[in-house]
Amino acid sequence: MKKLSGDLLALVVLCSLCVAAATSVYAQEVGVSSVEFPYTGNRTAVWVVAQLHILFAAFILGAPIFVVISEWLGYRKQDPRYDRLAREITKVTVILFSMTAVTGGLFIFVLLAAYPQFTTSFINQFYMVFAVMYPALFIAETILMYAYLYTWDVWKGEKKGRHIALGVLLNLVCLLILFVINGPTSFMNTPPKAEGVSPQDFLAAATLWDKIANQSWFPLSLHRIDGNVAFGGFIAGMIAAYMYMGAKTQEERAYYDWMGFAAIWIAVGGSLLQPFTGLLLAYEMCDYDFSFCPYMMADQLSMFFEMQGVMIGLLFLAINYYSWLSVKRIEGAENVRITILAPIVLVVLLPVMMWVMNTYWIPDPMSLVFLLPLTLSPFLLGRFVPKTVSARTVIKIGFIIMLISDAVWLTPAGFVATGSDMPDDMKLPEGWDYLSSMPAKLSAILTLVFVTVVNFVLYNRTIKQGTILWGKIDFASQFVLIFLAFTSTWIMGLMGAVRSLLKKYFHTYSLVSDLSAESFTPTLSYSSGWITAITVFFIAIVSVAALVALRPSVARVREPEGSPVPIAAK
Amino acid sequence: MGNIFKKLGAGLLVGGVLVGIAHSQELPGTFQLLFFIVSLIGAMVFMLLDARPLSTMSGGKSLFAVIVFWILMVTVCVAGASFLPQFNPADEKEKIDKLLKSQRAASQQGKAEELIARAKALDEQVKALEERLKGLGSGQATVASLTLPAGDKPSSTAGASSGGGGDFMKVGEEQWQLQECYNCHKLRGEGGKKRGPELDNIGSLLTVEEIQQKIYDPKSFMAEGYEKEYQKGIMPNKFKDLMEPKEMQALAAWLGTFKNTSVNTPKPIKKS
Repeated sequence: MKKLSGDLLALVVLCSLCVAAATSVYAQEVGVSSVEFPYTGNRTAVWVVAQLHILFAAFILGAPIFVVISEWLGYRKQDPRYDRLAREITKVTVILFSMTAVTGGLFIFVLLAAYPQFTTSFINQFYMVFAVMYPALFIAETILMYAYLYTWDVWKGEKKGRHIALGVLLNLVCLLILFVINGPTSFMNTPPKAEGVSPQDFLAAATLWDKIANQSWFPLSLHRIDGNVAFGGFIAGMIAAYMYMGAKTQEERAYYDWMGFAAIWIAVGGSLLQPFTGLLLAYEMCDYDFSFCPYMMADQLSMFFEMQGVMIGLLFLAINYYSWLSVKRIEGAENVRITILAPIVLVVLLPVMMWVMNTYWIPDPMSLVFLLPLTLSPFLLGRFVPKTVSARTVIKIGFIIMLISDAVWLTPAGFVATGSDMPDDMKLPEGWDYLSSMPAKLSAILTLVFVTVVNFVLYNRTIKQGTILWGKIDFASQFVLIFLAFTSTWIMGLMGAVRSLLKKYFHTYSLVSDLSAESFTPTLSYSSGWITAITVFFIAIVSVAALVALRPSVARVREPEGSPVPIAAK
Repeated sequence: MGNIFKKLGAGLLVGGVLVGIAHSQELPGTFQLLFFIVSLIGAMVFMLLDARPLSTMSGGKSLFAVIVFWILMVTVCVAGASFLPQFNPADEKEKIDKLLKSQRAASQQGKAEELIARAKALDEQVKALEERLKGLGSGQATVASLTLPAGDKPSSTAGASSGGGGDFMKVGEEQWQLQECYNCHKLRGEGGKKRGPELDNIGSLLTVEEIQQKIYDPKSFMAEGYEKEYQKGIMPNKFKDLMEPKEMQALAAWLGTFKNTSVNTPKPIKKS
């Protein structure tokens, strides 16, 4: 409760700052000079605190989703491991909640110091959101989060349903916060407009809802929801890896091995949706203003997306390598077999998909006529085909297909930093340029998703037919878990930078120009340095939080039970 | 160990074959390198798949291993990104300076900078006068030329010039670069060719006023064969808000000089 009052105090201070900023600062003469942040400059200072805030916020919004699901699974299956997982992640979430509030306060402070004019006018545009809705939801979330943690032991057994319902309510509030704050965020990229009306005139007449429900609001929210679930899962996996490495008994090792496995499959579930919601977001942004598209794909940000391709390719390879290591520790895995249709579809899927997508590009539904039967055939027709292949062979074929898909995913139109300067001898020649087209990219990512799904099916089949040896997984798997957490955090940092840079030399695209000297696209090298620094700092804080939250509870579990009370004493 | 060499050998072989095919198809060297690197990564993946299980570490050994692993990941991320081609911000900064010149001058910061510049110029004039007076006093007549402070010159809008026709065309060409029209339109063999029509013969098909109308309102004309792009509104309608009227006129006038009939610029269709 002391922590709760501390957090509430911080929140009240934050709100006062917002309101004070919005009124008193705005009432002063417009044109207040900004603070110059040394070493980083103003733009990078805002970037660092904003990205840190988003990372902490993503975790505390995403973790409750799988925590409640995990608690419900534990209740249904009467498996205490799920409940323990949910409780331990909640403990870490509560600690990181404070960091989210701290970085949020720092964010507002840096914004006001670096860009006072823009920030005050922006707060005024969304006064109800920043001064009323967001603080109210944040207070509600704080109360619910602490109530959820502290009623864990009180509401158990028959009252477990109440606790789960409290968790669901917490998640609803978290989702609401996400949607509310995405309004101003997406507004900066795609402020509402109308045909024949200037952006300034439209804005003058626009309601708060018009500003919130802009073109990229919903796609951004969808992308962030499944991103948060995936991110929460990857971070939980990393926590499991640390605890596995520090485990002293076989029981602890078995539990944290299972925790890593459970966390990763939750993360994979979220990750599989990410490419589609991400493409939807990019599609809506390009539909809003087509100049976003060449900026992202052909011009200054093209190599940012090349780096994204590298990291996502490595992410999918790592996920499936973890799956491979998981299969290896199952006794009897070498006897598991699957229909021969599976490897056949794996091999032909990429080229067929590339041809189909090129011929029937989105939104032509004809592509589904070819692709749905092809992808579903191993699952629906497999039982009718007598020939089978060993699961291990299929997994290895899957890895080869993933590498080919990665190569397609990574092939740009030309390896130059900006397409407008691309000489002919750096371009893909005619006849090969389909490799750099959007249909090829979509085919590559869909193939990666399909291989991952096949591996998941194989893993489930292996569990049913074999015996899992929890705690006996190859130790290399723990490094894979750490790698996945690092990579997913880094990708979030990169994509956050891209989303922000899409505004080009505007604070709010086409409405409010950024007149500072820093309103240019930084190099990929500079950006990756800061993204890496942010990632390292974030993961370090999370690691400390996890150790602080979980080591005492592990020590308590290890302590022997007290000696029974003698009958005479009762 | 033998297994490792076998897989490495296989990776090198596959890489070599891919490089050979890419080379024969005249793919640039960077793509050949990409395919070779992916082959080597493939070899590493297969080495990992069949590697012996790593023995369990604990305590200080695992902490050391984690730290080393972190350093490796950080190095790969920073170095990997640095090896990719880097965009030169100086090019963009120059463009943004031109685009935002008038807004910056009109801002409080811009006005303050202008005042400082004027104060400096006045200071130099005062010094020049002092020198002149000294010279007069010692019997030497020196002529010091007085120049107006920079701020008293007629201010020019971003990129626009009131000079002759040549300057006007220069402004038009500059606007082509600043507004990044080349991202969608090919011209003089440069620029994107698939999103918008090639414009090398636009001067034969539209008058300067019609070109200006198209830039102001992209829905006013549709290029033959670009129905899908027209329906989707691919050409942004933001230029009327971003460009000064003189800048739009200059760009239209410059585009109107392109009358290369050997290039197949699609016929523009007037839309109501």
